[in-house]
Amino acid sequence: MTAEHNDNNNSILKIALNLACACIISGIIIGLVYYFTADIAKQKQLELQNLALQSIVQGADKYTPIPGKPGCYTATKGDQLIAYIIPAESKGYAGAVKLLVAVGPDNKIIKYSIIDSKETPGLGDKAAQPQFADQFAGKTGADMMVNKDGGPIQAISGATITSRAVTRAVKNAVDEAAIIAKGGK
Amino acid sequence: MKGYWDIFSKGLVLENPIFVLALSLCPALAVTTSVVNALTMGLTVTFVISMNNLIVSIVRNWVNPKVRVPIYITSIATIVTVAELLLKAFAPLLYKQLGIYLSLVVVFAIILARAEVFASKNRPLPSFIDGFGMGAGFTLAMLIVGVIRELFGNGTILGYTVLGSWYPPALIFIMAPGAFILIGYLVGAWNIWSQRIEKAKGERGETI
Repeated sequence: MTAEHNDNNNSILKIALNLACACIISGIIIGLVYYFTADIAKQKQLELQNLALQSIVQGADKYTPIPGKPGCYTATKGDQLIAYIIPAESKGYAGAVKLLVAVGPDNKIIKYSIIDSKETPGLGDKAAQPQFADQFAGKTGADMMVNKDGGPIQAISGATITSRAVTRAVKNAVDEAAIIAKGGK
Repeated sequence: MKGYWDIFSKGLVLENPIFVLALSLCPALAVTTSVVNALTMGLTVTFVISMNNLIVSIVRNWVNPKVRVPIYITSIATIVTVAELLLKAFAPLLYKQLGIYLSLVVVFAIILARAEVFASKNRPLPSFIDGFGMGAGFTLAMLIVGVIRELFGNGTILGYTVLGSWYPPALIFIMAPGAFILIGYLVGAWNIWSQRIEKAKGERGETI
């Protein structure tokens, strides 16, 4: 029985080897591709990040990371401070909604852009569209409430939770910017 | 040549992955809220399913039948990961849009099903065409569902307003339950239609 079992093509060792070979080949392929693309990918990621910064604050010629605040930047033109760029996050309808918020030196909101969210397509993801997003320009942290809660922000119909999440995150970013501004920068 | 056309076209109508085989319904529901999403997902699946069928067919004589399913999954995962890495390096913007879809594709039942049913028993070229046909059928079904859901749920197609402000968008179409109801009706309609085709073929004396 054992001898016959060993000759059999279905011996456990052969099966295991077969699968192991497949996995090793797959591993080698992925490893090689990663080896050749990792550096390019990193560089592109940086470019993309710069592009995101540029799209949120127009007209700045320099973006400087704020020391001690990871992910925060100051955008300057010449010597003049144009905006603080603050990352913010808040719990939406489906997981975290991540934003990048530009706050002016007068502590008013300039613009935000959604970096990452899993909100319902067709409903919650409208928070990225100008009809909703443009309302935020020029508002202060105290304005950050949707109309259902008595604030000036017109919530997206059918996506109040997302609207609240975005306003909350933006408010946090404004508060953060105020702290940084007071910090003597 | 006719043989290849038959292999390709059966995925479109008679063995449509969504409406007839009823495979991969869950991700299909999740991403058909707008036409753009549906189309992107369809094309991604078409690419992965064709490549996977090709590879499974090439290695079919070396794969031990007892571990074929894990090996097919490994193959799908490898294709998806390599595609992800390449996109990240050479088309990061596209990667950002496709990211969530690509990871979903690994668990698509239709891809595994075609590897098992077709590619493991056929030569590489027909297998590739089978995958391509199934992918095209999937894309077609996704487009139909996507167009209807975006039109009635949001009043737009591809982001352009079609139904004006007089039309109150029916939110149910955007939500998952609406997709279930819609796909149910579409499956019914599809069945009626393909039965008619079969009947017409029979009346013309063609073999079914």
